[in-house]
Formats: sequence, structure tokens, C-alpha cells
Amino acid sequence: MNRQEEFVLRTIEERDIRFVRLWFTDVLGTLKSVAVAPAELEGAFAEGIGFDGSAIEGFARVYEADMLAKPDPSTFQILPWRGDPPGTARMFCDLQLPDGTPSFADPRHVLQRALGKAADLGFTFYTHPEIEFFLLEQGRDADGRPIPVDDAGYFDHVPHGTGHDFRRAAITMLENMGISVEFSHHEGAPGQNEIDLRYADALSTADNIQTFRTVVKEVALTQGIYATFMPKPFSEHPGSGMHTHLSLFEGDSNAFFEAGAPYQLSKVGRQFIAGLLRHGAEIAAVTNQWVNSYKRLWGGGEAPAHLTWGHNNRSALVRVPMHKPNKGQSTRVEVRSLDAACNPYLAFAVLLGAGLKGIEEGYELPPETEDDVWSLTDSERRAMGIKPLPSSLGRALEVMEESELVADILGEHVFDFFLRNKRQEWLDYRHEVTRFELERYLPRL
Amino acid sequence: MSSRTSTTEGALARLGFADPDRAVGLIDDRALLPIRSAVDGGQLDDLAAVMGDTADPDQCLLGLVRVMEALGRLDDAPGWGVSAFATELATAGVGRVRVLGVLGASTALVDELVRHPEHWVDAARAERHTGEQVRAELVSAVAEGRGELTAHDALRIAYRRGLLRIAALDVTAADPLGEMPAVGEALAELAEAALEAALVIAREEHGPGHEACRLAVIGMGKTGGGELNYVSDVDVIFVAEPAEGADEETALRVGTALATALMRACSVPTPEGSLWPVDAALRPEGKHGPLVRTISSHKAYYERWAKTWEFQALLKAWVSAGDKEIGLRYKAEISPMVWEAAGRDNFVEDVQAMRRRVEQHVPANEAARQLKLGPGGLRDVEFSVQLLQLVHGRTDPSLRSATTLEALSALARGGYVGREDAAVLDRAYRHLRCLEHRIQLHRLRRTHLMPVTEADLRRLGRAMGHRTHPERAVVADRQASAREVRRLHERLFYRPLLAAAAKLSPTESRLSPEAARQRLAALGFRDPAGALRHIEALTTGVSRRAAIQRTLLPVMLGWFADEADPDAGLLSFRRVSDELGTTHWYLKMLRDEGRAADRLAHCLARSRYAADLLVRSPESVSILGDDNGLTPRSREAVTATMQSAAGRRDSAADAVAAIRAIRRHELLRIVMSDLVGVIDLAGVGAALADLTGATIQVALEVATREVERREGAPVGGDVLVVAMGSFGGRELGYASDADVMFVHQPHPGSSEQEVQARATLVVQELRKLLSGSGPDPGLGLDADLRPEGKAGPLVRSVDSFRTYYERWALTWEFQALLRATPVAGPQSLAAAFLELIDPLRWPEGGITESQVRDIRTLKARVESERLPRGADPRTHLKLGRGGLTDVEWVVQLQQLRHAHARPALRVTGTMAGLAALRSEGLVPAEDVDALREAWQLGALMRNAGVLWRGRPIDSVPSDLRDLDGVGRIMGRSAGEGAALAELWRRVARRSRHATDFNFYESPPRGSVVP
Repeated sequence: MNRQEEFVLRTIEERDIRFVRLWFTDVLGTLKSVAVAPAELEGAFAEGIGFDGSAIEGFARVYEADMLAKPDPSTFQILPWRGDPPGTARMFCDLQLPDGTPSFADPRHVLQRALGKAADLGFTFYTHPEIEFFLLEQGRDADGRPIPVDDAGYFDHVPHGTGHDFRRAAITMLENMGISVEFSHHEGAPGQNEIDLRYADALSTADNIQTFRTVVKEVALTQGIYATFMPKPFSEHPGSGMHTHLSLFEGDSNAFFEAGAPYQLSKVGRQFIAGLLRHGAEIAAVTNQWVNSYKRLWGGGEAPAHLTWGHNNRSALVRVPMHKPNKGQSTRVEVRSLDAACNPYLAFAVLLGAGLKGIEEGYELPPETEDDVWSLTDSERRAMGIKPLPSSLGRALEVMEESELVADILGEHVFDFFLRNKRQEWLDYRHEVTRFELERYLPRL
Repeated sequence: MSSRTSTTEGALARLGFADPDRAVGLIDDRALLPIRSAVDGGQLDDLAAVMGDTADPDQCLLGLVRVMEALGRLDDAPGWGVSAFATELATAGVGRVRVLGVLGASTALVDELVRHPEHWVDAARAERHTGEQVRAELVSAVAEGRGELTAHDALRIAYRRGLLRIAALDVTAADPLGEMPAVGEALAELAEAALEAALVIAREEHGPGHEACRLAVIGMGKTGGGELNYVSDVDVIFVAEPAEGADEETALRVGTALATALMRACSVPTPEGSLWPVDAALRPEGKHGPLVRTISSHKAYYERWAKTWEFQALLKAWVSAGDKEIGLRYKAEISPMVWEAAGRDNFVEDVQAMRRRVEQHVPANEAARQLKLGPGGLRDVEFSVQLLQLVHGRTDPSLRSATTLEALSALARGGYVGREDAAVLDRAYRHLRCLEHRIQLHRLRRTHLMPVTEADLRRLGRAMGHRTHPERAVVADRQASAREVRRLHERLFYRPLLAAAAKLSPTESRLSPEAARQRLAALGFRDPAGALRHIEALTTGVSRRAAIQRTLLPVMLGWFADEADPDAGLLSFRRVSDELGTTHWYLKMLRDEGRAADRLAHCLARSRYAADLLVRSPESVSILGDDNGLTPRSREAVTATMQSAAGRRDSAADAVAAIRAIRRHELLRIVMSDLVGVIDLAGVGAALADLTGATIQVALEVATREVERREGAPVGGDVLVVAMGSFGGRELGYASDADVMFVHQPHPGSSEQEVQARATLVVQELRKLLSGSGPDPGLGLDADLRPEGKAGPLVRSVDSFRTYYERWALTWEFQALLRATPVAGPQSLAAAFLELIDPLRWPEGGITESQVRDIRTLKARVESERLPRGADPRTHLKLGRGGLTDVEWVVQLQQLRHAHARPALRVTGTMAGLAALRSEGLVPAEDVDALREAWQLGALMRNAGVLWRGRPIDSVPSDLRDLDGVGRIMGRSAGEGAALAELWRRVARRSRHATDFNFYESPPRGSVVP
């Protein structure tokens, strides 16, 4: 047993933990949990906890039906919302086949594999997400629409606002769980909030996002409200994205930084962005995986629907933020398409894979777009060579299906499952008669 | 002016100086004057003769001049000053032999002596110090009172003095091979002493508080084994326990600081150089684990997490430095676990993987010069000995030595290895190690490569004691040793198994049956008891046959163990040998015919299909003894053999039995050629088609004669067999059906009805004869592609075919005709039939749009209906998405549309058709590649599946062991089964894309707009 495991077992004893939840994520990004008693934990460290994988979304494959969840002791945390001792703790798990090899279906493994590839090239990958979400009243209005908890706007300070209390409670809880929060404020739409997590390596960040979504929902429940990461719950308001800052490090130095270059952006940085743009459409089905995601992307405003980059352009897919002078280490690129309902493991894996492809193949970065892309006409966009992101989940799946790159990053199993599952979702959606149709056609036709 | 000496160029050349001109100049050098004046008569002839006996006289002389110069710059101290040195060298005796020996053997030690000339005394007065003495010397050197030196420098100087002593004794040893173990031990003790001294330094650097931690340094690898090289990383593990009254956390913190400082003290370069890197990577969790652990933490790790190789490494653990009591407690806790390792799950797989690693990773250009890595290298010997220790040391504590040579002799004493074999290996190992020592000593560099330049080889040869043509002799010697070591596995692993099985030589201790079973299990045999019985049956007795088997089997067992199913290999070998053992040629062939035994062993343990065929007719093994045996014979040659065999039989049944026996023999030839890798997929397909064609042709002749005999009248017409499907395309696999159609043509004047009736009898007879039960595998002829399918007449006249095709045929029937190739029957009828079908399968203007739609619709329906229940379309090789059928339909659709206008498309093979589609520009090149890759991978897997399991596979096997066996036949490494499954999914996905575009004409790649 290594020291981290010893630490876990000792803590469990000292803090009187009665249950340990073993967490893992299915292919669609839903958090799964198995509770074990502390007595079983030694065995779990040694051999893993067996479960029937065929019951989990995306794991079914005949010879993978028997799976093992092996807890990663470095992710041990006591769950603060479970109250005082006796308490509950959680650990993330790696999923393995009975022979000890990693499961091809485990999203965490997909990301680990992508990070391994980056490590082979000498890079470590850091991410820093800004997560947006809506706080809603329980229940719906008379028309069945959700009701936001307040009516405030961007950065508004709402006296005695529910959101205020909520953010304070949520942040305290996150900090209790060892997740550093950088920034939090009220966002543009009523009831919309944003909390930024401090940058960390991509695997920890993905774990943290999974924790974050759970914490936010738990805290909301304790306050009698409801939190949602749905990308676009209101037609008339902006949706919830998860703008994510990405950077690559070579050892201790930021590989995106080059003093004196435009925006201090190194060749590696430019090629990385070029990769994100060239493969942006192929990876869209992973970065924006729901039918609803595309309502946010194409809802105008600041949503990035086109494969462009810019410096101070809030309509661009990739933004190179203003960096603080003499802070070369903080050079990074911001990807604005992601939404908060993605599977963070898969999404980070495809972003990294697309960027690395740009580096490996030495892609040229197209010129920066300074205009607001939304204000251009179609012909202008065509003339400028600006390509759009897929307009719907269906389109995104068609493009992804052709992508060797995505198949390579996800592995054939996850690739195939993902496509099948999402095609079904798209099909189900097309069966649906929407409120739009009823309101527009019923009176007329 | 010096007096002219009598040491002329000629005399020096005779003594062994390579550059006598320069040597004459050096001998006259002023620096040597003190020696000259110490010698009676002022001549240095005597001294030159001593130098001539060193490894490199020129380097020795130059070194002497440099050391004298260096000494001359110092005060002439009594005992070690320049006068004392001159006197030493002027006096005959062991002192000067040692000093000059060192100067001649190592330029690195020359440099060391130039830096510290006073240390010549260490070489001249060298004697073997005990480990405790060395330890005391080094510790006191770094302790307080070391003067102006830094502790690091003091350690380095003291260490090199120790090294000088060891080298002086080593290079002047009368019997270097005999001395080798002692040198290795002395070097290990010196290294341990350095670790101890480094720990003293570390404690001093740490200052007060270091007492909180009781730190033990466990030597691993060659250090722990007491068999160190001159230059090597020193492998260690650190163990810490809190001292009385200290807590664990503090102890671990202090321990980590001490260990880090200790490692730095050894490795950091200073003006006095550095010793060697201290490598702690063998610790639990390797480089990611904490540097220092407590005993219980070590124990917990090994109980839960450790891999087999870690236990193997622990076999060498030895308390090297630091707190002895802690070290011994650690040993006492950990050692028992080492000896349980062989009982762990996955031990066999781990060991095999470890062996592959030992044998890999030698750059090709170095392989011939490597002493350490690669098959038969030093590491292979060490690894093999350790493996036997792990397997048998569990029950026999006498085997638990950390030293390779001691372990080897213990294995021999216990009967686990034959005494003579052990002696040969012992000598070869010492010899290779000795070479390694001499090579490393020269520049004190870590290298395991034989030198290449003649000068280096000459020095090495002389260092090994050769005087005539040393540069050639040393290479020849080394090759002789390598030859012995190369048969290492045979000697160590397999021969003793025979001793266990045979009841020979009761005096010699031999492997017990229990130990033999353990060993067989460790080598990968799943049923060791059964294997032992087979070995016993094969080798027991005093017959010549048993005697030959006793020499053959140890080697063959190794080959069986290389493959996926060693048990099946051995069992089949026994059955074949039981059958053929008394024939004169069988054992002779295996013993004398180059690769026959090798190929037989590998085929049997790799392929159940080959084993089944061979066991049914063991005499076919003669294929392996024939130089041309592994080339499939031409259709004509096979036909002639079959005709002649059939002609000698009276009844039709006997004649066809003879034909079928020949077919089985030729089939085995194709299988073996495939397994050995001399023919590729296309070669297998063509050879199988030729063999099937020849069989049908000769059997048709027999059947015709039989029907005519029974009916008492001639058939009155010709009968033609047309190959269809993959048979017609000459792309048959082992599991493919032979699809055919039967055509007849009445002779002028015969009644069509009568001929139809008799031709039907002929065809029925043919099918019965070929498919009926018998000792040899049958050949089923599938005629379901004929007009009207199963409901239609078995055979039709050409006219009847014409009528049918003109009136009733569906589009798919024309598609099936694309692959039609006449294979048996008269030329004229074949021509008439082709004349009929060519305009049908290659229609003018191509098929109509509605026919295209028909084909597409049919294909779409086939996809959903033909797939067997429960089969996964993603893994079904033939009917799955992107599988063989997809590729074939892509080709066939284009042929139907364009073959009339483009003659290049008029081919029956799928691969040939694909190539034509590419050259005609009808299918984009990248799609052709994707389709070809999938078709070939699928066909290869189907063939390999038959070979591996003895029966067909339809899908990518879901069992990892099956995947592994299939993959190995396809030439992939062991353990890549899961990767093969992933590969199929990828290749099939790409092929499906190409099918969608080229068959269904769904939008082309890249045209999808978001």
C-alpha cells in the first residue's frame, strides 16, 4: 500500500467516515457512484470493486461486462454537505478490465491517454474553466417555463440576493473540498451565475468539474432552489457556456509564450490554435454534445458559432486574452464553444488532441478576425474564409463521423458508442413537435 | 645526454610494443633517469620486458613517464617519493609488475595516478582487504581530520585507491577467470564502503537531528549480489525506522534528506570526478514512490502491489550500508515474499513478458558486439538463473543465493540443472564477465560492447592473456562462449526436464517430478503433468529413437514454449512421433535437416488446424524435410499426381480416396507454407483454388467413368464445372465453401434429355465421392448459385442457361457471374459458356439505373437479414459493416456498370478488381486503400482463425486468448490481442465509409457542410 492509501485509511478512521463513495463517469458525462463501507476500501485499493459494466451507459461490450472500479487515493475528499461525523467521503476511480488493463470505455482513461500522448511530446496540459449556470425556482411558470431566482444582470450586486448567498455557500463548500475558486459573479441573464475554477492540470480540472456540478446542485437544494447546467434554458437570454482557458507547459515554462511575438504567442501556441480551428467542427459533437447545446451556439450574442480567432473579439471561437505584462507564464488561449453540460474528460481530450495535431502537422494560423462575426453577411464570411460550427447536433455528428482524429482520440469503442447514442438523441428530438410549431402553426394552419 | 640503450626498435617490437620508434624515444625520456640510475648498468631492458607483458606496453610506457614526471614535481618523501618509486621499478618483483600492469590496462587509472602519483604504493603493495577493512578505510577518509579536502573529494580519492588495489590484483592474476568472482565481490564491497562513507557525509551535512532516523541502505542488483562491474550504476533501496523516541514522520523526513545527500555524495561531479550514479528506481512505485519507506510500508507494498519483476529484483537484496539491524529486519520481513512470487497469478505471463524484454532492445548494429543484452547475453544468463531460483527456491532454500554463479552451482548440486551444462555455462559466464571487466577498466566507462578497432581488440586480447594474434584470438574466444550461452535455455530449462522424466543415471541427483511440473508451468505449459508424461513417453528407453529424442526434445520444448499453445504442440508432436518413430527418415530429418524440427515445433504449437491434419497422416511431415517442400505445387503437377494415383485404383471409391489423400497432403503443404510465412494471403488463395480445381477435375474424370460403367453407355456429352464466388476469384480461404455451377453440352447426335439425365448422375456421383466421410477431409461443393437456386436442376445445358438468363434471371445472378471461372471440363465447352455469360456480366452500356437500384436494395436487405442472430455488425468479418462482403459488392457494382467499356475491370478477383478500379479512376485512391486494408485484414483473420482453432471464426474473437493466438499467426507479437480487435474496428470503419460513398453514393468525404 502506498502512502496516499495509508493516508486515506487513516483519515477515514480519524474522521469517523462511515461511507465512501466511489465516483466514475459514464461516456455521456453523468457521474456514477458506488458506496462502500470503509472496511471494503483496503480491498478496493488492492483489487478494485467489481461491477457489471453492461448496466452503465456506453460501457457494454461482451467481454467488458465485468469491470473493476479502482479508486485513485489522490482524489480522496470528505463530502461537506453530508454534515458532521459520521461523514461521507468520495474518491474518483479508474475503470479496469478483470486483467488489470484500463477499460477502453472509461472517459477518464480517454483523457489520460491523450495526456500521455502530450507527455510524449514533452507537454503538460492545463485548463481553467469558467462555469456558468442558472439558478431557478423550484417548479415552472404557468406556461411551463423555468423561473429564474432573480432579475439581475452582468456583475450586478444583488442585495440579499439568493444568488449571493448561494455563491458564498457553494464557494465555501468547494474550498472545503480542496477546489480553489478564482472568481465568481452574477452573469448577464437573470438567475445566471459564473464561478471560475483555478487552473490545474486537465485531469484534476475534469475531476473538479464533476465535483463542482454535484456541489452546486447540492447547495441549491439546501436553499430550496434548483441549479442547472443546461446550455440554453431561455430562448430570450444568453445560454450557459464553459469558456475554458488552455495552456501547454514544457517543464516549468509556458509553451505558448514567446516574448516579443504578437500577443506574446509562440509558434507552438499559434499552431495549437490552428489545430483547434481546423478540427473545431469535427470535435463539436463532443464539446457541445446535446441538442440544446446548438441553441446556445446559434443564439447570437457572444456565443461563438464560427471557427475564428481573435484578441479582443467576443464572437470568436478562440480568444487570446490580454495578458498581464511580465506574466509570460499566464499566456493561454480561451476556447469559448464548450458548454457546462459536456463530459469534461472527453471534451478536454478532443481539445488537446486537435491542438496537438496542429503542432505535429505544423498548421498555419489563419489571420485574426477583428470584426464581430455576427455582423458580417454570409457572403462576407465566405469571402473571408470563415467557416461555421455545425448548426445542429445532427450536423455535428455527420462531421464527427468522418473524423479520423476524433476516432483516434476517443478510441474506436467510445467513438462508436458516442455516435450511436447521439444519433438516437437527434432522432428522438426530430420526432418531437415543439412549442414553436404549436404556437406558430396551430393558429394558422 | 643519456647513454644509448640496447633496447632497440627491433627488441621492443618483439616485446609487444606496437610503436617501437616512439617507445625508444620515451625510454630515453629524462623523466625515467631516476630509474635508470637505480638499475645496475643503467639499462632498462628488464623493465621493458615487464612492460611487454602488460595489456598495452605503449600505453604503459607513456603512463610510466607521466607518473614519474608527476612524482618528480613533489617532494621526494621516503616511502613513496620519486626515489622509492625508482627503486621499486628497478627491482624485480611483484610490486613493479602490478604498477606496470595497471598502467598498461587502464588509461583512466594512469590519469588517476598522474593526479595522485603517491598512490602507486596502493598498487604495488596491493592485497585483498576484507569488506570491513575497506569500510573502515573509506569512513575514516571522510571523517573529521581529512585536512583541506572536502568530504566529497576525500571519498572519491579513497574510493579510487581501493579501485587501484583491486585492479592491480585483477590484471596480474594468474587465472583471471578463476579470480573473476572475487573481483566482482571486492568491487561490490568497495561500493558498499563508499555508500557507508557517503552516509557519514550525509549525516554531517544534515547536522543535529539526523539521529532521529535509523537508515539502512539495501544493495540491489549486482551490488546486492556481490558481483559488481568496474563501472555500473549502484542500485539501492532505502529503509528508515524512527530511532527510540522519534516519531515516524520526522524519521521519514530526515531519512529522505539523508538518502538524497547520500546519493549526491556519490554522484555529484567534483574536481576529483564522481563515483557512479546511485539508482533507487527499484524501490516500491519506482521513481514516483517516496525515496524512503519504513519496513512495514515496504512490506505492505510488496504484499499488495508488487509486480513479479520486483520480486525477482528483491532476490538480490543485501544489507549494504547504514543501520545493520534495520536492514536485517527488512530482509527478514521481505525475503519470504520473494519465494512466494512463483505462486502468484500471472507469474507465467509476467515471466514471458520479462523474457521478451530481456531479448529485445538491442540496436541491430550493436547486436554482434553486445556482451550484456540480447539472447544469450550476460543479462539473459542472469535472468534465466533467477527465474529458476524463483521457481524452485520456493521449496528448496539451498537455491537462495544472491550471486549468479553461486546460484548456478547450487542449481547443479540440487539437480535442477545438469552438472556438465552448469559447468559449461559457468565458464562461459566468467569469460564474458571477464571481457566486460577488461573493457570497462580501460577507460572506466560503463560499456558492454566489444571494441571494434584493431588496437582496442589487441589490448583486450592481451589483457585476456593472448600473445599471438591477440586481436583475432579474443574475438574467436568470445564467439565460442557466445555459442555455448546461446544454447542457454536448452541447457538450463529443458534438458533437466528430460532427466526428470527419464529413469537414467540414478546416481546423479535430478529434478524431482514436482519440481519439473513447477518448471513446466512457469514456462507456459498449462498441463504440466500431461507434458511430463509426453516427455517421458518420448525419451524413455534405450532405443536409438529415444536417444535421438533426448537430444532433440530440449530444443523443441523451447520452441513449443515460444508459441501460444505449447501443450497442444507437445501432444501433437508425441502423436506424430509415436506414429513415425520407427521409420528410418523421420528422426533423421528432424536431427539433420536444418530447420525442419524448428518449423515442425512452431507449426504444431501455433496451429491446431496444422496439428490435426498432420496427426491424421504423420508421413506428411516429410514436407518439412524437402527443400522445395514449402512451395505450393502447381495445378498441373498436382493434377498429374492425382491422375496417376487414381489410375492405379480399381474402384471409384478407392480412386477418390487416393485423390483426397493427396489433397490433404497438399493442403498441409499450403498451411505450413502459410504458417512459416513463405506465402502471403494472395498466395494462399491461389494455391487453395488450384488445389480445389485439380481435385474436382480428377474426381470428375473418375465420376464420369463410374457413371458410364454403371449405365453401360457413354454420357454422350461434356460436363463443365464453373467455379463461382471466392473460388472463381482465386481468393479461397481455409474456411471458404467451394461455390460451383455445373454445365453440360450434348455431343452432336445425342439426345439432350439423356445427356441431361446422365450428366446429373455424374455430378451427383462427383459430389458424393468428394464429400462423403473418409479418413481425409471432404470437399463440399455448393451449387446454390445456379439458376433457380436449390429448386433448379443441378446441371443444365448451355442452351438451358441461355434461356434462363434471357427470360428469368435477376440482377444478382448476373452479379454472381462476375466471378465465374471454368475449372474442370473440356476447353471448348468452357469457351462456349464464357461466350454466353460475358455479355451478361459485362453488359454493353452497363446495367440500367433500375438494376443499380435493385442491387443496392438487395445489399441493404442482406445487411440487416443475413447477419446471424447475436452477431455484432462491428466485429463480423464477412457480413459486418466494412467487412469482406462490403468490399466485394463495391467492386462488383462498378464491374457491372463499367466492365464493358473498360476491359481492365474484367477480372474475377476482388483484389484485382479493386486495383483496376483505382487505375481506371472509378474509385478514389484513398478509398481503394481503405477497402483493400479491410478486405485483407478480414481475410487474414478468417484464415488465421481456422489455423488457430481448427474451425472457422466469423467474428473478431471475444476471448483474449483466442485473439492472441490469431494475432500471433498473423505475425503480431504476443499480448497484442486487444490491439488487434481495436485495429479491426478502425479498419472496418474506414472501409464502411468508402462503401457508403462508392456503393451507396452517399455524400463524399469532406463534402458534409455543417
